[in-house]
Amino acid sequence: MRVNYSTFSTTQFRVLSDNQIEAIYLASLEVLEDVGVAVHSPEAIELLKAAGGVVSDQTLVKIPASAVKTALQSAPERVVLADRKGDRVMSLEDDNVYFGTGSDCPFILDSATGQRRKYTFADVADAAKIADALPNIDFFMSLGLVSDVPVPTYDRHQFLAMLSNTVKPTIVTAVDRDGLSDIYEMSCLALGGRDAFRAAPITALYAEPSSPLKHTRNALEKLMFAAENMIPTVYTPCPIAGATGPATLAGCLVQSLAESLSGLVVAQQKRPGAPVIIGGVTSILDMSTMVMSYGCPELFLMSAALTDVVKWLRLPMFSTGGCSDSKILDEQAAAEAAISLLMATLSGANLIHDVGFLESALVGSYEMLVMCDEIIGMVKHIARAIRVDDETLALDVIHQVGPRGQFLDQDHTFRHFRDQFWFPRLMDRANYEKWDAAGRKSMGDRVREATTKILHDHHSEPLPADVLKELKSIVARADAKLPGA
Amino acid sequence: MRYLSSCHRPAARKRQGPTLPEGGKMSLARPQLTILSEDQRRQIYLSMLEVLERTGVEVAEEEALQVLRHGGATVQGTRAFIPPHMVKAALASAPPRFTVHARDAGKSLRIEPGRVYYGPGPTCPYFVDVSTGQRRRYVRHDAATTARVCDALDNIDFVMSLGAISDVRQSMCDVYEFAEMAANTVKPIVAWSFTLESCEEIHRMAIAIAGGEEEFSRRPNFIFYAEPLSPLASNKEAAQKLVYCSRHRIPLVYTPCPIAGATAPATLAGVLVNALAESIHGLVISQLLQPGTPFVAGGVVSIMDMAETVLSYGAPELSLLSAALSEMCHFLGLPMWSTAGCTDSKLMDEQAAVESAVSVAMAGLSGADLVHDVGFIESAMTGSLDMLVVSDEIIAMARRILRGFEVDDATLATEVISEVGPAGQFLDHRHTAERFRREFWFPRLMDRSRYDSWNAGGRHTLLERARERLSRILAEHHAPQLPARAAEAIGSILAEREKKEAKAAP
Repeated sequence: MRVNYSTFSTTQFRVLSDNQIEAIYLASLEVLEDVGVAVHSPEAIELLKAAGGVVSDQTLVKIPASAVKTALQSAPERVVLADRKGDRVMSLEDDNVYFGTGSDCPFILDSATGQRRKYTFADVADAAKIADALPNIDFFMSLGLVSDVPVPTYDRHQFLAMLSNTVKPTIVTAVDRDGLSDIYEMSCLALGGRDAFRAAPITALYAEPSSPLKHTRNALEKLMFAAENMIPTVYTPCPIAGATGPATLAGCLVQSLAESLSGLVVAQQKRPGAPVIIGGVTSILDMSTMVMSYGCPELFLMSAALTDVVKWLRLPMFSTGGCSDSKILDEQAAAEAAISLLMATLSGANLIHDVGFLESALVGSYEMLVMCDEIIGMVKHIARAIRVDDETLALDVIHQVGPRGQFLDQDHTFRHFRDQFWFPRLMDRANYEKWDAAGRKSMGDRVREATTKILHDHHSEPLPADVLKELKSIVARADAKLPGA
Repeated sequence: MRYLSSCHRPAARKRQGPTLPEGGKMSLARPQLTILSEDQRRQIYLSMLEVLERTGVEVAEEEALQVLRHGGATVQGTRAFIPPHMVKAALASAPPRFTVHARDAGKSLRIEPGRVYYGPGPTCPYFVDVSTGQRRRYVRHDAATTARVCDALDNIDFVMSLGAISDVRQSMCDVYEFAEMAANTVKPIVAWSFTLESCEEIHRMAIAIAGGEEEFSRRPNFIFYAEPLSPLASNKEAAQKLVYCSRHRIPLVYTPCPIAGATAPATLAGVLVNALAESIHGLVISQLLQPGTPFVAGGVVSIMDMAETVLSYGAPELSLLSAALSEMCHFLGLPMWSTAGCTDSKLMDEQAAVESAVSVAMAGLSGADLVHDVGFIESAMTGSLDMLVVSDEIIAMARRILRGFEVDDATLATEVISEVGPAGQFLDHRHTAERFRREFWFPRLMDRSRYDSWNAGGRHTLLERARERLSRILAEHHAPQLPARAAEAIGSILAEREKKEAKAAP
């Protein structure tokens, strides 16, 4: 036997050194203490005051480093999400990586016509179904924004479409605190009560600070409601370097972190131990088109760097991948999705969202989602790295086969090829003649076929009829309260 | 520091990647990827030594065998058993860096840690015709076209032809290929040949371009590529070329193409052991013949697709094995010949883009020195300029990631954040104007326009934009001509060989 032997059983990846992580963290503390954040909620201002925050101009709160430190001490270093059956399926901790869609794209690329149009209730239901079917998609955000329901209650309708079409954990957006309250009620109902939800949270909230350094009343009220009820919350900004954040990547990270950490302080002041996930979409402004890019290398680089910082703080990380600036599913969408998913996976970010986004987050595409599922399988295989031991080093097999021999008929080959090799489903490796005879299909063609097949064949586990009825009544109750209803 | 108490300051993370340079206030944040631990690298190296000593290698060439025997190997028939001390000595004399000089000095390759160069690969039987878009046999003119396109692309650093010429005398397709490429690019060429004879002629052409034998030895201007066979063998031709290049100090890539499950074990660790043994026995021969001769190890390390029985050029195992083999080569102080920008797809589609992107990024993250096969489709059966141009953009994108970013007071920008303040904007701040060009990558082919302008502009895909760029390059780009004397010399080397061949087989 060999002793004092250390192994890597996965890839090891970092962007920042410990000193650089610390420099970014300390700079964000300086921003919070010296510049402060705009806080548009009296309750949140009171909470921050109690933590030592200094208020000026009514809404500007300067937050001392000690308040951040206290918040970091009470924030849980792991958050678990459960599926609709109550199984705790996602442990957001350390380097566990999970993949899912993003929320609220206004447009869908219609599978049948190829045209771009608004998202409907039925579309979100279909998106949920697809996410439910895909093996490498772990959680579901709405992908699209339901547009064929009343705007002030879209969130309840959207959540109904989500919850009734996938058993996978969901992350939701909400109109306001009341909307979140209804969604929470719906979640508890689906699961069998508040205690059941505490034990197995099937839904997390997504809410955003506004870059630079501003917390709206709406975002804070949702954040505080979630904290109070121990609803896991992703509270993360989308700073755009050069527009709503500094043009230097390091500076953009500093600001992003300050925004998340000030939200964390509010949540922990509201209820110590509240489960909060930080991170965010940290990208750049494309200077020639004035678009926030969802396919640029700076997004992938900053996300990986922010993951280093957030994990150093021992908090779960919300990152981005599987998205593109391309308007359609083409070679650009494929390349940007591939590099972003590779980088996010290597970085070990816990929640990797926006899988399926096209057109810089304006289009949520089923086909993009299905293609990314295949890419995720591929990059996960890389991140598993290489097992090194006597069996895999195979010296006896190499010796037995000898120079100029072949391994195809070796027992060793049969024993191992299934666990060593990745088996693609949408990547084609046939020879030219076979591919030609099968209709010369591109990956786009195969992706479209696979999408159609899922929509046709996949049936998500339905909610019990009585539960569905009660969920609908909560939605109807909200609609009934609308002015003019 | 002062804000972090020890109680919630996390312990050092479990990972033990390479440490980053700190040095002073400014530091560069760069992605650092590691696949194997130090102990795992050592174990793979020691296993490779065991294979060379116990199993040995077949070398079907007398001179190489003699050299090995003389150096301390046990030789039985054509099998050589190489003891560890010979490997140690070879590693000690292999140069840690060398330069391959381009016609345009700014495009020379400095093969040393921290640089990653990309380029196409050789010998595909087929080529995608630019004007018809159809797959057809590769012809002589395609070598000139490919070299011209490589010459124009910013992220292609060395030149190979993407195919094997079918419309000349077959024994001379290698020399014609070199001649066509040399006339159409100022970037360094990686050459190959079937025979020793062609290898010598390519060397003579390179000497003519360098301006004399002495000039060439001082400033070698091309790299020669030759292949050991998996598993564990060098055939006569490969060994002859190895011996010739070593004697003449021609920078040599001597790397195998093991196929996990077919010509190598199905387990990835076993593939690494085999691949390394195959390169390293070549290194031992080269360093015995000429200590210090520039040598590149590595190889195309991939798997046999068990359903299609094809050597996969797009598999994640290719990227993973290549990155691990890079680590092994760097662990031994040798440069790495790696593979990326290639695909199993039959056309430049989404699959080709995904497989190119993943492999290009992984090769870059692994710090591989020379990354070849950019532009291969159909599992290395077909060369595609569409794939080459798209991959050029992907390489640019990967390079933006590899470059990292600076972390210092100016980039942390707390002053700027303070001046802008909550709910402000950075677009018109001086800091943005000063910095964005340095921090942001500007794509050439990736589209970030708004829907309306994309729609009005004809709804082009990436492939369409790549083809537009390719047409422009083909219409407009020409490398500076070779000096007349060099062109003449190349012409007469070809004519002389034609005459000789005609005499041998009229």
